[in-house]
Amino acid sequence: MLETLQLKQTPFHARTSRLSLAQNWRRWAGYRVVGSYELSLEHEYWAIRDRAALIDVSPLMKYVIEGPDAARLLNKVTPRDIDRLAVGQVFYTGWCDEDGKLIDDGTISRLGPAQFRMTSAEPSLRWLAMNAVGLDVRVSEVTDQIGTLSLQGPKSRAILNRVCRDTLDGLKYFRCMQTYVGNVPVGISRTGYTGDLGYEIWMGAADALPVWDALMKAGDDFGIAPCGILAMDMARVEAGLFMLDVDYTAATHAWIEGQKSSPLEMGLDWAVSVEKKGYFVGRRALEREKREASAWRMVGIEVGWDGIEQLFAEVGLPPQIPAIAVRESRPIMSDGKQVGYVSTSTWSPVLKKYIALAHLQRPYYEVGTPLTMEITVEHHRKQAPARVVKLPFYEPVWKKK
Amino acid sequence: MSVNTYDAIIIGAGHNGLIAGAYLARAGKKVVILERREIVGGAAVTEEIFPGYRFSEFSYVVSLLRPEIIRDLELPRHGLKILPLPSTVTPMDNGDYLAAWADHEPTRREICRHSPRDAEAFDEYSRVMARAAKAIKPVLSLVPPDPSSMSIRDMLGLLKLGRYAKSLSEKELYRIAKLVTQSSADLLDEWFEFDPLKGTKSASGIIGTFLGPHSPGTAYVLLHHYMGEIDGAFRAWGFAKNGTGGVTAAIAASARALGAEIRTNAAVKQVIVKGGRAAGVALENGDELRASVVLSAADPKRTFLNFVESKHFPDEFVTQIKNFRVRGSSGKVNIALSGLPDFTCLPGETPLHRGAISISPSIDYIERAYDEAKYGQFSKNPYIDMIIPSMIDRDMAPPGHHVMSCFVQYAPYDIEGGWDDQKRDAFGETVIRTIERYAPNIRRLIVGKQVITPKDIERIAGITGGNIFHGELLLHQLFFLRPAPQWADFRTPLPGYYFGASGAHPGGGVMGAAGKLAAHEVLRDWR
Amino acid sequence: MAHDIMVIGAGLNGLVAANYLAKAGKRVLVLERRAMAGGQAVTEPLGSGFGVDALHAGGQLRPDIVKDLGLAMPPTSSDPLLSLLPDGQQLRLTADADARTIESIARLSGKDAERWPAFVQFMQDAAGFLDTAYRTPMPRLPHVSLAEGLPLAKLALNLRRLGPRDMFRVIRALPMSALELTEEWFESDVVRAAVSAVAVHGATLGPMSAGSGYTLMHNWLNRGGPGHQRVEGGIGRIAEALVSALKARGGEVRLSADVKGIVVDDMAVRGARLASGEVIPASTIVSAADPRHTLLDLIGAPELPPHFVWEAQSIKMRGSVAKVHLLTDGNHGLPSGTLVIAPSVRHIERAYDAAKYGQMSQDPYLEITTSGPVVSLHYQYAPYALRDQDWGQERAVLERCAVNTAASVAPALKSSIREITSLTPLDLERTYGLTEGDLNHGQLILDQMFFMRPLPGWSNHSTPVEGLYLCGNGVHGGGGISGASGRNAARAILKR
Repeated sequence: MLETLQLKQTPFHARTSRLSLAQNWRRWAGYRVVGSYELSLEHEYWAIRDRAALIDVSPLMKYVIEGPDAARLLNKVTPRDIDRLAVGQVFYTGWCDEDGKLIDDGTISRLGPAQFRMTSAEPSLRWLAMNAVGLDVRVSEVTDQIGTLSLQGPKSRAILNRVCRDTLDGLKYFRCMQTYVGNVPVGISRTGYTGDLGYEIWMGAADALPVWDALMKAGDDFGIAPCGILAMDMARVEAGLFMLDVDYTAATHAWIEGQKSSPLEMGLDWAVSVEKKGYFVGRRALEREKREASAWRMVGIEVGWDGIEQLFAEVGLPPQIPAIAVRESRPIMSDGKQVGYVSTSTWSPVLKKYIALAHLQRPYYEVGTPLTMEITVEHHRKQAPARVVKLPFYEPVWKKK
Repeated sequence: MSVNTYDAIIIGAGHNGLIAGAYLARAGKKVVILERREIVGGAAVTEEIFPGYRFSEFSYVVSLLRPEIIRDLELPRHGLKILPLPSTVTPMDNGDYLAAWADHEPTRREICRHSPRDAEAFDEYSRVMARAAKAIKPVLSLVPPDPSSMSIRDMLGLLKLGRYAKSLSEKELYRIAKLVTQSSADLLDEWFEFDPLKGTKSASGIIGTFLGPHSPGTAYVLLHHYMGEIDGAFRAWGFAKNGTGGVTAAIAASARALGAEIRTNAAVKQVIVKGGRAAGVALENGDELRASVVLSAADPKRTFLNFVESKHFPDEFVTQIKNFRVRGSSGKVNIALSGLPDFTCLPGETPLHRGAISISPSIDYIERAYDEAKYGQFSKNPYIDMIIPSMIDRDMAPPGHHVMSCFVQYAPYDIEGGWDDQKRDAFGETVIRTIERYAPNIRRLIVGKQVITPKDIERIAGITGGNIFHGELLLHQLFFLRPAPQWADFRTPLPGYYFGASGAHPGGGVMGAAGKLAAHEVLRDWR
Repeated sequence: MAHDIMVIGAGLNGLVAANYLAKAGKRVLVLERRAMAGGQAVTEPLGSGFGVDALHAGGQLRPDIVKDLGLAMPPTSSDPLLSLLPDGQQLRLTADADARTIESIARLSGKDAERWPAFVQFMQDAAGFLDTAYRTPMPRLPHVSLAEGLPLAKLALNLRRLGPRDMFRVIRALPMSALELTEEWFESDVVRAAVSAVAVHGATLGPMSAGSGYTLMHNWLNRGGPGHQRVEGGIGRIAEALVSALKARGGEVRLSADVKGIVVDDMAVRGARLASGEVIPASTIVSAADPRHTLLDLIGAPELPPHFVWEAQSIKMRGSVAKVHLLTDGNHGLPSGTLVIAPSVRHIERAYDAAKYGQMSQDPYLEITTSGPVVSLHYQYAPYALRDQDWGQERAVLERCAVNTAASVAPALKSSIREITSLTPLDLERTYGLTEGDLNHGQLILDQMFFMRPLPGWSNHSTPVEGLYLCGNGVHGGGGISGASGRNAARAILKR
């Protein structure tokens, strides 16, 4: 009777719950997912960067959009030119409200000429339905029906080549294909949230466990490890990937105008095709913003380690930076004036740097600009020297090979 | 100085009177608050009608009590405890139910099992309503400016209002304009499809009104009640410890601690007028008290037509007060129970028993209930909002026993033929029979039952017309029109005589805003 | 292009807009789906071919429009409102408060008869305020420019000039119900009911509905009083005058030109596509069709922003008017004037109750007008969306109830009937292009007026589509026969 008070379990719950030593659970879109499997994040994180990490990303909202007007719907909702999306190709995109402010972001995979799968962070059925009025299209939510695994890391392809009926060697970056793992039909897209070589595997929820087991078995030689979303969070910051309601506030969640962001501010210029034909939501606002420079931009910040060491040494402590991505807002200053704020910061094990995603005002968002980020050292507010760098922070050569 | 001379006399120790008195005492004034009954609280009282069983006799939940009043008068220090009301459940005729929780996430999932479409709409709806409530909140705490006046104060007030409107985003402004004028049925039909969801939400749009969900203007009442939802952690949709009387007890304690005097069994007969000014009051028992300020916290009819002779007011004003609509439409049935009612859709004792239970299966159900009231009958199938306070506060009833508070619409004040004992009994029986459809064992458990009609509200709580808001929340009786045009600023045409209760802006509900605003206007004039 | 501006719909608002635009030198083309112009204001043959004012018994363009456009209008006469009571009595109400009216009211209540002239004065004040309001462009809030703000300020001052007492009376009256308003003025339920009948005419509201105070003022304004303004020769003469004036100004009217879609490219209009397949190019289109039809059918939701679409879908239309026209042998026994069967406020309210639940009221509020042997019955409430039946089945019931109700106050009626023809809300939609049978292109309710009409934020006649403007009943100033919204639209377009 009161099941509704419980969080939902993903199709992989039977496996993930037993493997998690830390029993560190997180709420994600109404689901319970593992935050971390081990007591410290290091092992899982390095699985992403050195071997292969298996991450349960089933709580992603998933929608199937099909029908004669499927492409037309997606062209109306998103600023991308869907006519350029080939069958077997994946686009990453944000989408906006009528004022050109970001509502959500996700991927669109073209599974067939008139069939697409779309993912998002927040429930989007209503928004799709509102935009589908007058169109010959069917939108169905398959969030609970489809289990999704993310296999990320330099060994990910090798593992998939072992378990899949077809080889993954020809699957290019941001492309997708259909194959089988054992008898289970799966979709595989070369996408992910880590900025590494990696694949997302889509299957019916009922088939979830056999696929998990097959991957874990095949990946054993390669050092596969189950990985929680906390370690993935560190990796995504390294990849320069932002997160809804952490690095930007969805326009629908904002209480005031200042909380909203446009895709151009978030660095998605390349994903906004104002030259495409036809009306899309936010078109006029985005056209206007493209003409004038954005007042704000999200950029990468590198915080100098020397500076941090010094600030802690001043009070006789070794530097104490959390070994986890921190989703906390920190002021960024220039000459004593606040010019922006950090939205997520993390220690990057692979780069051995302290990095952050930040929102900065014009003109401070230019690469190379010296700034300071506020940190608290022994209860006192201090300024740690930092500078603006290009995103992504980390991009291994094998990511797109 | 004679013991019967004060700086200010407050007529009526309902929550607004007590608050006005407390603020004036806090400002250093010598204040007396006069109450007709033997207990304070007005319609926010707890009474032990059946020994061992305590009823929040009239008002039964708190949500709108202004946070600044709670802070200013240090009410927690004086005993105010608001225990959370965690849920609302709507029984369905097919044995299922729809629950709503204080937490958004499980509420969403609950709606989703009935209607996935409505679940997503609910996300957006909640956000939109919260933002609208936030946008309209400042209006609650300002003195309405008079648009016909050329005074500096009113012009500035209008300017402020205009500037505030300009500060809102275009979307917010139109959203508010729509919410203030729509019917709650139209509002809810735009968002949702599931009848019990719509029915339950529409019910908060007709509380205390003589309107149905299809009536334009009810979306405003819905928004009015939504304002209790947005005070963040401060939020107080809840049940006061010791019942609603606990709220007024805390306010009274605060007032006394601040130096105000409270006299019960001190019914006021008339305001004494000398030299064209209010100069004090004469009690029913013949005593006279003097003060240069008299503030009435009674309803507008009593305030302007009973306590003061009409000759002291302009004719037009008297006509407007006479035209002020105060028809009560709500009844209350308070029940002492020997056990917990067993709801067919919620077998046993569940967390949902700690919340509200709403008989509101659809908008049409409530609209039909309203139709009957229009023609002078009480509803044969009424809307009922029930809570079992003893599930939240164990001190309200003997162990294992319970009290149940049933708020009912509609029971018209001017029922055809007038209210008498027989009609009251029939009304009470209708309520029991309706509850019985969902909790068949209720009748067996009844130890005692108190049925309150609008006529009883008038008689016991002293509210003319028995309207729980002292005056219907109709658009033409709100803001700068409440209680009458040009007199919405808590002053009256009689110098020295003020008015600060639910019949003034911002209207009813246990808010306290009117009492506080009135006290401030008194102090402003004092300078 | 052979023309500068295209107008879709030759109803009165469309023709008025066309005339104003042509007067300013624009080359105007009006496209009308039907074979005759006039929209709702038509006198046409029904049934076996007897001519009748099909939808409206009377009406007139605003005097300033007649003057501005130099129209040759036929004479009009003001009907008294006669409430026909079951006992054979009559209540007569007129705006000029003549002796007969006062005497008629006095038979019910002396006090009410005394108050009637003051009430009429109040209604004139209120109607005057509305008239000015309907002439005041409603800009987008809240960022109102100085140029836009001045007319609004003038409107406010206009109101204040009434003095505090009357100013507040008017403001209060807008959201009140007709019952509440009439209770403050009159003690006789019959008088209250007769006035309430004027309030609810054409609206899906009851006398106890909030906002019927506004509709009372609105209907009083358009009628010039409680009874209809009858046009000599039939209401269709108004459209005739507008068409000849337009032609004289070089404008063109194409009848039987059914616009099926408006061509949109890159968020701007390109032209209109007819049922025949012909596409007529245009860069400025003014649509006098109702907003929902224009936006969702002619333009189509895919071309429009999603919230805008939602708002358009949410326009409350829900018409509940039906018309039953009787051809009699002339011996119907009905007096001339605007007759109402509204014996009590409760009678009208109960009739309205049925509509709330998707049922046709079987004991309706009826308004009866006669023109020679033709008796026209305006039936309320007959809701467009019936829950348990459909209009195919209900037509017979409608006709029977209409005739029986009318016969209850006119014993000679039944035997004089030669022919019955009716227009259900479905007919209103199919034949006259009125979505959901709503004569007002959107209910005249408080959340759909002034700044909110036709959609919140779009009260200045423009739309998200460049070059597309709205000018019919469904926009500010519209509702009933007046031409005000057409005039406003033309002015808004010319200002750009």
